[in-house]
Amino acid sequence: MMAVPQPTLEKETEDSSLLPLVHDIIKCMDKDSQDVHQELAKLKAKIQEAREQISSMPGIDSSPQDQQQQLATLREQVRTKNQLLQKYKSLCMFDVPKAS
Amino acid sequence: MAAVADKSTKERLVSVVDDLEVLSRELIEMLALSRAQKLPQPGEDTQILELLVQRDKEFQELMGVAQQQGKVHQEMQLLEKEVEKRDSDIQQLQKQLKEAEHILATAVYQAKEKLKTIEKARKGSISSEEIIKYAHRISASNAVCAPLNWVPGDPRRPYPTDLEMRSGMLGHMANLPSNGVNGHLPGDALAAGRLPDVLAPHYPWQSSDVSVGMLPPHHGNDFALEPPGHNKENEDDVEAMSTDSSSSSSDSD
Repeated sequence: MMAVPQPTLEKETEDSSLLPLVHDIIKCMDKDSQDVHQELAKLKAKIQEAREQISSMPGIDSSPQDQQQQLATLREQVRTKNQLLQKYKSLCMFDVPKAS
Repeated sequence: MAAVADKSTKERLVSVVDDLEVLSRELIEMLALSRAQKLPQPGEDTQILELLVQRDKEFQELMGVAQQQGKVHQEMQLLEKEVEKRDSDIQQLQKQLKEAEHILATAVYQAKEKLKTIEKARKGSISSEEIIKYAHRISASNAVCAPLNWVPGDPRRPYPTDLEMRSGMLGHMANLPSNGVNGHLPGDALAAGRLPDVLAPHYPWQSSDVSVGMLPPHHGNDFALEPPGHNKENEDDVEAMSTDSSSSSSDSD
């Protein structure tokens, strides 16, 4: 189960690199190939795609540190509320009618 | 360094993508220019290339961080849902507690009222013997029911007498003279025939031959709080009355 996300992540990070496209452009320039315009268009499209991907990615509006802090706060909230409910339930002072 | 850490991942990614775009354009333009002019510019393009590689590496790392943050975000959403669920549970519990408090408050109030009533009853307690005695007394004087053999003219009362009405509360309200008779149950005295003739009421139906002597002998006795057991005839009257009431109740049925 743990091995599955890692290749996906690597694939995604590899895919995000712009260097192969820049390399292709330089090669085309070296060869004086007409494909250079096509490669340039690919690079532009790739950059645009990266921008769109960044704007649609969830959870990156804060820094990882801040996000970890928020996560810890949420975990603490859940823990506290669970404890509170457990405390009330363990009182057993009256019968709580079950919600039907 | 602190400023970089404070920036959000999105801002850093946008900044790196901008850098990549600028650097790649610069590199391509430089290479195109050098090829057109056939003038090699060693060093500068290498520097830009290094920067480009560095920025690209940074971009990939940030993308990795962003992916991780996406997963953390998903976990946070689950936790938020959990918090909402707990909140609604706590609110429901709070509502139930309020209801229980209300019910208990009502019960406590009612119980206090009952205790007050019990205390009041204890303070003014009367023995059952006393009540039975009084019941006998009012029954013996025909205050609640006429004797079985009552006929018009019989001074034993089937209803409150004129004297009793005068001495009662209604009489006082209407300022009727009570003729100075204010003893206990004056009707008893009347029935007993102990009143002077002046005070004795005279009614049209009351014939002159209806005399005091017609009254049963026991009515001549003083109506002190005496148990009827001492007087056999009294007891008979009571029994007759209770028979009356029972028969009337069965009639109404």
